[in-house]
Amino acid sequence: MKKSGNIMRNAKSQHNFSYMLIGMLMLGGCATTNAVGKQAVLSKADPYEHVNRKMFIFNDYVDDYVAEPVSNAYKWMTPQFVQTGVFNFYNNLKNINVVVNDVLQAKFHQGAEDTGRFAINSTLGLVGLFDVARSVGLEQNDEDFDQTLAVWGVPRGPYMVLPILGPLTARGIPGAVFDTAANPSSYVGAPVQLLSLLNTRANAEGSLKFIDEAALDPYVFTRESFLQWRHSLATDGKSLASEDFDDELDEDSVSEQSVPAAGQSAVRLGLNEYTKKFEQVSASFSNTARSFDETAKSFEDAGNKVDQFKSNK
Amino acid sequence: MVLRNIKLIILMFALSGLSHAHAGDSGARVAVDKFQAELIEVMKNGKQLGYAGRYEKLFGAVSNSHDLTKIVRIVVGKEWENLSGAQQQKLVDVFSKFSVASYAHNFKDYAGEAFVFDSEEETTRGGVVIHTRLTIPDEKDVKFDYMLKEIGSNWRIINIIANGVSDLALKRSEYTNILQREGFDALIAKIDEKIDAYSKQ
Repeated sequence: MKKSGNIMRNAKSQHNFSYMLIGMLMLGGCATTNAVGKQAVLSKADPYEHVNRKMFIFNDYVDDYVAEPVSNAYKWMTPQFVQTGVFNFYNNLKNINVVVNDVLQAKFHQGAEDTGRFAINSTLGLVGLFDVARSVGLEQNDEDFDQTLAVWGVPRGPYMVLPILGPLTARGIPGAVFDTAANPSSYVGAPVQLLSLLNTRANAEGSLKFIDEAALDPYVFTRESFLQWRHSLATDGKSLASEDFDDELDEDSVSEQSVPAAGQSAVRLGLNEYTKKFEQVSASFSNTARSFDETAKSFEDAGNKVDQFKSNK
Repeated sequence: MVLRNIKLIILMFALSGLSHAHAGDSGARVAVDKFQAELIEVMKNGKQLGYAGRYEKLFGAVSNSHDLTKIVRIVVGKEWENLSGAQQQKLVDVFSKFSVASYAHNFKDYAGEAFVFDSEEETTRGGVVIHTRLTIPDEKDVKFDYMLKEIGSNWRIINIIANGVSDLALKRSEYTNILQREGFDALIAKIDEKIDAYSKQ
């Protein structure tokens, strides 16, 4: 108990330390704004790039000198089946939050499936250590409060890199607070949370290695893939990535046109953006309506089945 | 007898017409199918081929199915106009090698993976998106969406979107960023370094 108290205190002081660090980097960032000003605003989604890049480098150091060695030690000491069990256990706990967000996004059909998934794995899967639900065809869904806010039409806000926690958007902050509150593992002792962190790092190994190998600029690579991946999750992969690509083609042809034409194109792109946003909102409304319909239909089907059962009897 | 011949001829015409229409409608799908089949084949023989063998086999597969020049043009955006002819050629060359090296490195062995076709969709500007999935035993499927354009009479891949992440958009951010911050030579040096690292692993 005393030990966990110490760890908690350390965590708290680390927390304060990170705030101090943010403050220092912010000041540093302000002092050098002029020097990097020319290169700073390259991405509209990332207005704080100069601070974020520093934080990214800091996180990279922490990963190299602390997280990666500890994670490697964990992977070396722990047999694969235990690692899988630990992953399944935390993944299963996450499903409570998935179900809550299914409901908040009016995905009732998926919500029912995810409830089934949680129930099966918590019982037959021995408190979640085994993923039995997958073998009966119930795939893990990925929902969280950030996605719910996106479905509700809350704008994404700027991209941020937080110390230790890594990439996030402004909308992701209330998202992360909600998700933490809705996860039972947040309410148990520090060792459980530490194991959760180890599990997260160990499972990110593949992605981190991929970025390390493929990225010419790891910061930009991480930012772009994070933002795109989150957008794809929020729209359930239904956002047409080809639309973005057509916009890029537009931008590409802009460079071949004269300056006034480029101005017009910019206006047109702006309008496209508005139309797209409007379409997204209306699509999310129609999705909600469809989910209601599907749920009603599944109730109807269930009713019919009961009737059939009765008449057979 | 004459009647039978005429019937046969009509049947042949009808069949050839059908097959022509089929090829015309889903030329994009044929191109993607072919590329994916070649990729799976290389994965199946991955170990015997080794990195060099996979690279060699995939070089043809990638350059015949992708429009690498167009990809590079989009990836560097308006910076393209600022490059000399020799620089443009050099960039296309290095980019092609990098793309193939990345395939040869990441698709090195086979554990029962398969590509499954989901649907085909036309885009507003005459392009086609082929939606597919890579199924991996005991793992979640990975969505692969291929965006193609018709160049002459051939359909060529312009973009691959894996699980919602567009390769073109990702590279575009990276490449324009490096070109603007550090210049052309630094970009080429970085790509060469990555190709080298792929070949050594």
